[in-house]
Amino acid sequence: MKFDISYTLDAIPRLLDGAFITLQVGILGFILSVLLATTITVAKTSLNSKIFNSILAFYISFIRGTPILVQIFLVYYVLPVFGLNLGPFTAGIVAITLNSSAFVTEILRGGLASVPNGQFEASKSLGISGYVLWRKIILPQTFITSIPPLVNEFTMVLKATALLSLITVVELMRVSQQIYSANYHPVEVLSGTFVIYFLICFVVSRSSVFLENRLKVKRA
Amino acid sequence: MNANFLELKGLHKSFGNITALNNVSLNVSKGEVIFIIGPSGCGKSTLLRAVNWLTPPDKGEVWLEGNQVGSSSSKLTIKESRLLNDFRAKMGMVFQQFNVWPHLNVLENVVRAQMVVAKRSRVSAESKALKILDEVGLNNKIDDWPEYLSGGQKQRLAIARTLAMDPILMLLDEPTSALDPELVGEVLKVLKRLVNNGMTMLIVTHELGFASEFGDRLLFMDGGELIEEGNPKKILSMPKTKRLESFLKKLHINSFKH
Repeated sequence: MKFDISYTLDAIPRLLDGAFITLQVGILGFILSVLLATTITVAKTSLNSKIFNSILAFYISFIRGTPILVQIFLVYYVLPVFGLNLGPFTAGIVAITLNSSAFVTEILRGGLASVPNGQFEASKSLGISGYVLWRKIILPQTFITSIPPLVNEFTMVLKATALLSLITVVELMRVSQQIYSANYHPVEVLSGTFVIYFLICFVVSRSSVFLENRLKVKRA
Repeated sequence: MNANFLELKGLHKSFGNITALNNVSLNVSKGEVIFIIGPSGCGKSTLLRAVNWLTPPDKGEVWLEGNQVGSSSSKLTIKESRLLNDFRAKMGMVFQQFNVWPHLNVLENVVRAQMVVAKRSRVSAESKALKILDEVGLNNKIDDWPEYLSGGQKQRLAIARTLAMDPILMLLDEPTSALDPELVGEVLKVLKRLVNNGMTMLIVTHELGFASEFGDRLLFMDGGELIEEGNPKKILSMPKTKRLESFLKKLHINSFKH
């Protein structure tokens, strides 16, 4: 079989449209998951409630213990049974957010553990407490140490969006399938898809180095 | 002198079955410099931390300038915890481990609390910060990150950060204990300046020389109790109790080992 690159090149404009949706779902899902995970982390530490902690532990082990594809199907096909009818795009973002926030919560737990208790005490002794204490002192330190695993999680999210093709979100993978099922040249089309996924994730993972340098993180 | 500047009344605190504070009462006058010594685990740090309610006592009361700090019980109401922030800002605390903020540069370390707690504008917070950093000898370090500072510089930064809140009382918890010996002097110099400016201070320390030179009063604690107090020079040279005598002996033996 001959590899005809013209099929790849012809597919690229449409693939890029799909990549744009991939980025939208990935970025939106990741931002929402970081917001949710941050809220969970702060609530967990400030409430220090046994009930909250056991619900959280159950949620995290549920997400970690089941395939993300099953979770996506659950949101898309099972929620409508309870009268919650989400379109594929929204369902995809909800599924990605719920999945990723479990992992981001674990990442932030590690980052928070690296902030010494003295940081809380020094801040409190200056009269800083509550929201300001978290917003200005604790969370910045938590996030700075969490940059490498957070960037890693973001690339995982971007790759996981390919699964959303199965609930008809017209993202990069879905577009590829549409193209090669019409022209019967999956190898050429998927090569283009492959390169685009790789470039996106490569740029994202390199940004970790850039962010760390910018934030003057001293690596031990 | 106003003897009711700071009053500690019957403070009690235990951790599990260890009693860190056992019925400790103390009256501090404005401008008084009080040193607290005692063996490790005697409750001297807990005493300081009870004053600004960082470690709420199980029983007892803390009064600053006639106003009650915290509450009579170890739990606070919402109103009491709001008031507590104002009290804490007035009582600057300096820690053994410095606890400067690593994600903010030197200037910002001194500016931040002024803006978020005292609600000062950036311009006035910065000009105050620059003045104080100059006083503690860090005026050439304002753009540096704390991780590049020496221990002595970090501690001077921590002191500057609390001074920026215009404290009326300073609580210093072994401010020089984590420092290399040659860096202790630069921190003591800053503290001497505060003494000379009339700052009221409670200092937990092992620097007996510093205590006897600058202290108005020396407290010796053991087992969560105030065992002995008095003029530092007097009680260090002629301890009245056996416990203080044996504690001082141990300190001297240790200092010969160095």
